[in-house]
Amino acid sequence: MTTIPVNTGEDPRQRPQLILHHSDFGSVTNAILRGNESPKPPKSWYFALAISFSLMSMLGAMIGYLIFTGVGVWGNNNPVAWGYPIVNFVFWVGIGHAGTLISAILFLFRQKWRTAINRFAEAMTIFAVICAGTFPGIHIGRVWLAYWLFPIPNQMDMWPQFRSPLLWDVFAVGTYFTVSLLFWYLGMIPDLATMRDRTTTKVKAIAYGLLSLGWRGSMRHWHRYERAYLLLAALATPLVLSVHSVVSFDFAVAQLPGWHTTIFPPYFVAGAIFSGFAMVMTLAIPARELWGLKDFITMRHLENMCKVILLTGSMVGYAYSMEFFIAWYSGEIYESFAFVNRAFGPYAWAYWIMVSCNVITPQIFWFKKARNSIAIMFAASLLVNVGMWFERFVIVVTSLANDFLPSSWGMYEPTWVDVATFLGSFGLFMTFFLLFIRYLPVLAIAEIKGIMPQADPHGHGHSYYEMEGETAASAKAAEDDE
Amino acid sequence: MSSVNGLNTDNERKWWRSLDEAVSPNEVHSNEMDEFPEGSGELLTTGDDRRHFLKIMGASMALAGLGLSGCRRWPKEHIVPYAHRPEGTMPGIPEHYASCFEFEGTAQGVLVTSNDGRPTKIEGNPMHPDSKGASDAFTQAEILDLYDPDRSKKVTYGGDDSSVNSFKEWTSSYLPDKGKGIAVIVSPSSSPTFHRMRRAFMKKNPQALWVEYAPLANTNERKALLHAFGGNWVPVYDFSQATTILSLDADFLGAGPLQVPNTRGWAEGRKVDNGTMSRLWMVESGLSVTGSKADERQAMRPADILALLQDEQISLNGAGSLTDEQVQWVEKMKVDLNQAGNHVLVIAGASQPPIVHYLTARLNELFGSVGTTVSYRQVDDGSNATIEDSVAGMKDGSIKGAIIIDGNPAYDAPSELDFATALNALPISVHLSYYNNETSQACKWHLNKSHWLESWSDGRSANGTTCIGQPLIEPLFGGLSPAEFLAILAGEEITDSHTLVRTTFNPKADKWNPSWRTAIHDGVVANTATLEAPPVNRKMMPDSTVAAERGMSVVFTPSAAVWDGRFANNGWMQELPDTITKLTWDNAALLSPATAEQLGVAQGDMLQIAVGSNNIQIAALPVPGTADDCFILPLGYGRKFEGRVCSGAGVDVNPLRSTKHRWTATATVSATGETYKLATTQMHFGVNTTPGKGTQERLPLLYREGTLEQYNADHGFPQHVGHVPHSLSIYEERQFEGAQYKWGMSIDLSTCTGCNACVAACHAENNIPIVGKDQVLMGREMHWLRIDRYFAFESDGHGGYDGNKLTSVAIQPLTCHHCENAPCEEVCPVAATVHDIDGLNVMVYNRCVGTRYCSNNCPFKVRRFNYFDYFRRDPLRSTGMLQVQPDYYVKAQSGGKTLRAMQFNPEVTVRMRGVMEKCTYCTQRIQRVKIATKNAWVKKSDAQKAADPRVAIADGAIVTACEQACPAGAIVFGDLMDTKSRVSTLHAEQRSYEMLEELNLKARTKYLARLTNPIDGATAPAGGSHS
Repeated sequence: MTTIPVNTGEDPRQRPQLILHHSDFGSVTNAILRGNESPKPPKSWYFALAISFSLMSMLGAMIGYLIFTGVGVWGNNNPVAWGYPIVNFVFWVGIGHAGTLISAILFLFRQKWRTAINRFAEAMTIFAVICAGTFPGIHIGRVWLAYWLFPIPNQMDMWPQFRSPLLWDVFAVGTYFTVSLLFWYLGMIPDLATMRDRTTTKVKAIAYGLLSLGWRGSMRHWHRYERAYLLLAALATPLVLSVHSVVSFDFAVAQLPGWHTTIFPPYFVAGAIFSGFAMVMTLAIPARELWGLKDFITMRHLENMCKVILLTGSMVGYAYSMEFFIAWYSGEIYESFAFVNRAFGPYAWAYWIMVSCNVITPQIFWFKKARNSIAIMFAASLLVNVGMWFERFVIVVTSLANDFLPSSWGMYEPTWVDVATFLGSFGLFMTFFLLFIRYLPVLAIAEIKGIMPQADPHGHGHSYYEMEGETAASAKAAEDDE
Repeated sequence: MSSVNGLNTDNERKWWRSLDEAVSPNEVHSNEMDEFPEGSGELLTTGDDRRHFLKIMGASMALAGLGLSGCRRWPKEHIVPYAHRPEGTMPGIPEHYASCFEFEGTAQGVLVTSNDGRPTKIEGNPMHPDSKGASDAFTQAEILDLYDPDRSKKVTYGGDDSSVNSFKEWTSSYLPDKGKGIAVIVSPSSSPTFHRMRRAFMKKNPQALWVEYAPLANTNERKALLHAFGGNWVPVYDFSQATTILSLDADFLGAGPLQVPNTRGWAEGRKVDNGTMSRLWMVESGLSVTGSKADERQAMRPADILALLQDEQISLNGAGSLTDEQVQWVEKMKVDLNQAGNHVLVIAGASQPPIVHYLTARLNELFGSVGTTVSYRQVDDGSNATIEDSVAGMKDGSIKGAIIIDGNPAYDAPSELDFATALNALPISVHLSYYNNETSQACKWHLNKSHWLESWSDGRSANGTTCIGQPLIEPLFGGLSPAEFLAILAGEEITDSHTLVRTTFNPKADKWNPSWRTAIHDGVVANTATLEAPPVNRKMMPDSTVAAERGMSVVFTPSAAVWDGRFANNGWMQELPDTITKLTWDNAALLSPATAEQLGVAQGDMLQIAVGSNNIQIAALPVPGTADDCFILPLGYGRKFEGRVCSGAGVDVNPLRSTKHRWTATATVSATGETYKLATTQMHFGVNTTPGKGTQERLPLLYREGTLEQYNADHGFPQHVGHVPHSLSIYEERQFEGAQYKWGMSIDLSTCTGCNACVAACHAENNIPIVGKDQVLMGREMHWLRIDRYFAFESDGHGGYDGNKLTSVAIQPLTCHHCENAPCEEVCPVAATVHDIDGLNVMVYNRCVGTRYCSNNCPFKVRRFNYFDYFRRDPLRSTGMLQVQPDYYVKAQSGGKTLRAMQFNPEVTVRMRGVMEKCTYCTQRIQRVKIATKNAWVKKSDAQKAADPRVAIADGAIVTACEQACPAGAIVFGDLMDTKSRVSTLHAEQRSYEMLEELNLKARTKYLARLTNPIDGATAPAGGSHS
């Protein structure tokens, strides 16, 4: 039997496997659900949950303090009326886009490798959108009237003002959350049923039973499932492009120099996918290590993610240079000043962090060695997220700090409440994520099985090679070479 | 912290928290005081029925308001209609009364708005010769002083509560016979009643010393004119007659009792008449408001200013020497003055030694200006001693008692006198004062002075016109006016201010006397000006100038915010950004950038400044245009009086000030290495940093100015400064069909001096909160109207700028421009900011949820967000990590529950936190006039109605608060639909331009480009590239 190459590095004629060391459905299910079904999760999970939960509580405390006292507890001022909270909002919403891209767009493109990461990436999207949604909710001056942003019939005969991008945000992010949640949940149903069938406790049986909506695994169920999945994937696909475009309109529709550019929608979408994939990588690497998922999230998956990061990072880098070029080419003094000021003004330090993390860092993935080194990938993914946060910081804060009239120029400094709220949002995110990986199927079991040779309805699939379209003859030739 | 809600004592005015309490104090008290009602205590201890306990608690909670009114945010108040309404009044309709108050001995004429018996806003008195309807920042801020919780509310003796009656008894027993050993120290006053009482006092106490002392009194001028004319004289200037003005360190457009008439007069001279306008030559050490408007200016150290006046005949002691450039400049100046005929005005500042004032008088006479631009007036001055004499007497025992009326000599007397210690040691000391301040602390008796809005008074304006001041409210906390106090001391029978003032006016008049009532109504007594044109004494005055050495000098100036310290506890003044430095809540040592570099200090670095054996530590603030090696020190800060506003504000520079060195002194200055945060409302960027260069580059577009020659050559020169592409709209723009009015505003940058009167007026009119120093540091000041100040520098030839070569100071007031294509309206998600048919951008406070997107999209950044409930938050200078004090959460809402709330304009909402606010073009004033006009129109005949289908409002009927206050008349508001209105004419002027017009905002506020009149008019002011 020829050895199964684990990695393109070893034999460039053969694409590496998507699933390693497992040859039947049962072992796949056992491996994936080991994290859920072990009587006690590893100590690292408890440790991580404790930290996340305390950060989340801190978030709650900060929000309470904010609502009782006023927006002034943050560092916002005149002219920088939007600071950390909006930066964090865009940051979190951006991160969510990778999950939907993996789930929906890669599905439509029939990319089999998505199956190992789509479930937790989509979960990441949901949780990121929750984190994102808290920020605009709490950042308004009178939070208790936030419902006025929704078109709810009322005694005042007032609709919200639909020409405002913030309103579009309400619909975009709301739609995004709803569709993502539906898509994620729907995709989970067969796996929840699997968990239901394997549970040991009564509580779990009832819970998973309810959640799996009576799934029997019949042909009819599968057929409807596949149809619904396809429809939702088609529905979610445009959201990848539209949601962050709408978020970018928050800035592009305003006339502030540095905001008012037409490049924003594609630039933001590229940036969102960029940061989202980086976050998926940041989560995937420890998860596969600590949760025993190395056989499913293989080097090939990680390498693919690196390539996407490289692509979108380069797009972001291109967008930066375009902005500069157009600002100069326009000859408009306010616009050109805005960009020169970003690079050489009082916030230059933030700008250069952004450039080094977003433009320079992903370029390392041109090198195969980097694409296959866990340490480099992990470090790069962290740096990319730092860089993407700084990108939003640079966009929001520097444009506001130095706008048209020099008399209104002012610096922005976050207060401890800003920082605590931001860190707290990570706590919220991680708490949800840790609970997810323990109590919900962390990978898409059914879909992974779907790409195994046994699942092929056309009856091929006794060897891994045949999965990839190899014939018996070439397999024999390979054997002879050895 | 004093509390007006505290228990009443005999001496305190009984002041209730709500109408409820006044009507039925007992009933209300029981609800408010008892959190736990009767009998509940026993329930807990006897272990009685749990159900019963809960019943009682539940009921009490409901009664206490949690059940019935707990969800309501505002306090419950009762509206009680009059049973018998006072004749001529209508509840809710404000009334206006003329009054006056003295500022440095000059009566400022005011018209005070009274809402339901409470004075709420002060305006200028149109019938007053100085004011003519305008006011200055101090006048506007005075209303807040009336409602200052830190004002003195009682009479104390030795720290214990006392009363006026006790004081009266005490005077009869303890005041020495014939006033032997008594020194009376008063602030300068022009009040005829006050001087009448003085004479009465001095008649009974001929041996008493009478000292007039004010730290900022122009004693040098007084000495000079004593020599020039004999007697006590002051000059009275008419700047409107002057075509050429020479100012020797006289900040006549800056803060002071004559700011309003000076500014108006000077502004009139700035109108281009037959292609000419006035020219102002200025020499000064610091950059003042006047200096920023000067056509020709030289920054000179005090010694060099003396050198300027030297020539073959006159050689001045201690004069420096001029550089060649300065000599040439002086030559040009002399030529120009000689050409101006008798429309020259030479004015010298208080800092100049007496000889300079004398020479000024001589020069004015020489130019033939006396009677046109300058006149003189004799003033009442009862002094028979100086403050130095009185302290000498205190020290050697000949003075055993001091009676101090107003003022604060323990704080601001010349430092070498050590007045506070001397005062403390006296067996008899009395202080009549508005605040229980430093001097009161050193005195045995403290009597609280009534505010001028609470008592009758009189005074004389700059030209001598008698003004009558009537009160608008009964004294809130008792108190005496200075005249009443003197009457008591003089043992007069009549001691109430009303009778006193009326008797001075006409001893035979009773309160129904028609001429008396006319005088009260007008606020002025017609034809009582006392201007004269005396000849100047030819004999040269002996030169007593102190020899100045080389090295660093300090120059003392009044503060435009707190003057000599009297406004230190006035929150509006503390937060008003200084015109030139934009500094709030502090003073700083102002120095030139070159000197700062030499010392190695930047803005905020602490300096140690020593004069003689005294030294102070104060933060540095480099200001371009300051003379090198000069440190300008504003007075009035570092008060030791524990007011909630003034505590910790700034540094007291009085220790450096002595009798000999009243205005300038030689000093040694070094950097201490420490830093101090200075709260400026505009950021400071080094001139060759990216932001600094960006500022210089765009300045000519934002602030358009040119010389008179450029204007004469091309009236439309401001239109050629930038290129504005012709914008096409992709959607149909608002057409305002059916509009009856089209509100617009014009601001003349030529005449605006940046005096801050408009900012203070807007602050008072619109219930704008003050935020405190730490919030200003964060950039959250709430001024709806702000004055931008930019410095234009000469380019250094290498693509950068020279921060030491100031070419022009740009002063530009900015409010909401009410753009027709308002960017803010587009982006509000809840439609809280919308446009009305008359063109106002309307801010709907109760709809605003506070997303702040409108602020982001406003290119002028005129929108202000309420980051906190600023009216609940004490404007403390630093609040630490939590940014608010605990009482922020429980403090009574501003509605009707605090003394401060009495000042609120009831026509303007008081905004809560989370809500955006901005200039509304004083929509409350527009509405008032509109409603009245429409109501009147309805009653007209059909023919009249047909002739006026639009219900036109007369031009000038609606005056915005800023427009009303402006002494220069730089702000004009009106109806653009009326082609004959002033604002339409101004908008049509070629000099008129729209700011940021390339953004297609269609702003309703336009600016008139500034015109300067340098001697070499062809050179455009440098200041970066032009597009």
